[in-house]
Amino acid sequence: MFLTRSEYDRGVNTFSPEGRLFQVEYAIEAIKLGSTAIGIQTNEGVVLAVEKRVTSPLIEPTSIEKIMEVDKHIGCAMSGLIADSRTLIDRARVEAQNHWFTYNENMSVESVTQAVSNLALAFGDDDPDPGAMSRPFGVALLLAGIDKDGPRLFHMDPSGTFIQYDAKAIGSGSEGAQQALQEQFHKSITLKDACKSALTILKQVMEEKLSATNVEMATVTTDRLFQMLSKDELEAIIKDL
Amino acid sequence: MEAMAMMPYQQEQTNHIERPIQHRFSPYDFNGGTVLAIAGEDFAVIASDTRLMTGFSILARDVPKTTQYTTNTVVGSCGFHGDVLTLTKVIQTRLKMFTYLHQKEMDTSSVAAMLSTVLYYRRFFPYYVYNIVAGIDTEGKGCVYSFDPVGSYERETYRAGGSASSMLQPLLDNQIGMKNQEGAKQVPLAKAKAVALVKDVFTSAAERDIHTGDAVCIHVITKQGTTKETYPLRRD
Repeated sequence: MFLTRSEYDRGVNTFSPEGRLFQVEYAIEAIKLGSTAIGIQTNEGVVLAVEKRVTSPLIEPTSIEKIMEVDKHIGCAMSGLIADSRTLIDRARVEAQNHWFTYNENMSVESVTQAVSNLALAFGDDDPDPGAMSRPFGVALLLAGIDKDGPRLFHMDPSGTFIQYDAKAIGSGSEGAQQALQEQFHKSITLKDACKSALTILKQVMEEKLSATNVEMATVTTDRLFQMLSKDELEAIIKDL
Repeated sequence: MEAMAMMPYQQEQTNHIERPIQHRFSPYDFNGGTVLAIAGEDFAVIASDTRLMTGFSILARDVPKTTQYTTNTVVGSCGFHGDVLTLTKVIQTRLKMFTYLHQKEMDTSSVAAMLSTVLYYRRFFPYYVYNIVAGIDTEGKGCVYSFDPVGSYERETYRAGGSASSMLQPLLDNQIGMKNQEGAKQVPLAKAKAVALVKDVFTSAAERDIHTGDAVCIHVITKQGTTKETYPLRRD
């Protein structure tokens, strides 16, 4: 791919003769530089886990946030250029609130993902809509939530493509992590086991030693909805690994 | 006598003075019509008469004020018929867009919530429409939502709206709400009884209200879908 680099990798809205949009493909490559994030869907709910790269002892680890609440029933984990995700998360939150305002019901996870992906593909316009950028977003998202169809997990990449998954890993360790997920996931996995699996896999693919300070985890369940795990809860799971 | 005789002449004189001619446009009309909805345990009934009026003239005898919005939601709208038609069109396009976007049919509660916002967006030039939404809620129970023209709404078990509402509502209070009765027990309303009651109260309303008559269109909504029936009323 990089060997055939040409004039066509400059403009974001120009296809190459082979029918490719290089800037979008490069943006997808940018995700592979990001920290690993994992999502697992179970019958009880969805778990999201991310690694935090604490590159210096002077960093305050709690200031690195890679899992965010979109609405009380939807959470989002991310990998790549985290700054880019702010715009996407903001759009997701606005869409979810608008939906509640107009229809007096929670927006479905798929609809929120659809709304965000519309923004992801709005780059390169001469007359951009608010929130749209001149280049593709350099971030991939894992949207997890509960709706009428039960627990749902969606993955969205910078091309705006979104696919529903039982379990998905993104970021630098995604190849190994996805392989491990394929081995460990089964349809009847409990939420507790899924939390454990997520951390076990993160531990395998992380360069640093996994601890309660350099990972973040959240669950979205039918009864408790979006819930970030506290340091104590994380430590309890890590102890059992 | 002479002074009196002078009057018409003087009046004629003043009438020759050019005054500005005022044309006042009234954007609204009232076309009559009555809507009624009752929520049962696992069904809802919504009915409207089919007469369309303006002043003392009958414009049409076969225009029901009820519209089916989804498989289990029917809305009754009366007031100014022009606004009824536009509002109905707006809601129907919104419903279609919703199904395309979210790949599901809108719940009755969401139809009610959306109708409220659509009405409120015209807060200072309202749709002159009184709406009643009837359907089945997500738990399978019958539900009725009543609205004012600017979108204030609440869920109720029964409600009459439109020109004969002030005659029908007290009757429903007594017959369904068991109000002002001593020792009356609240028993679940059967579907057949609800339909019979609708026919009775519309017959009574047609006797007293000139804006209500010709026929009554009755929709019965259940989880399985809706059925429609028309029952004649007096036509004078």
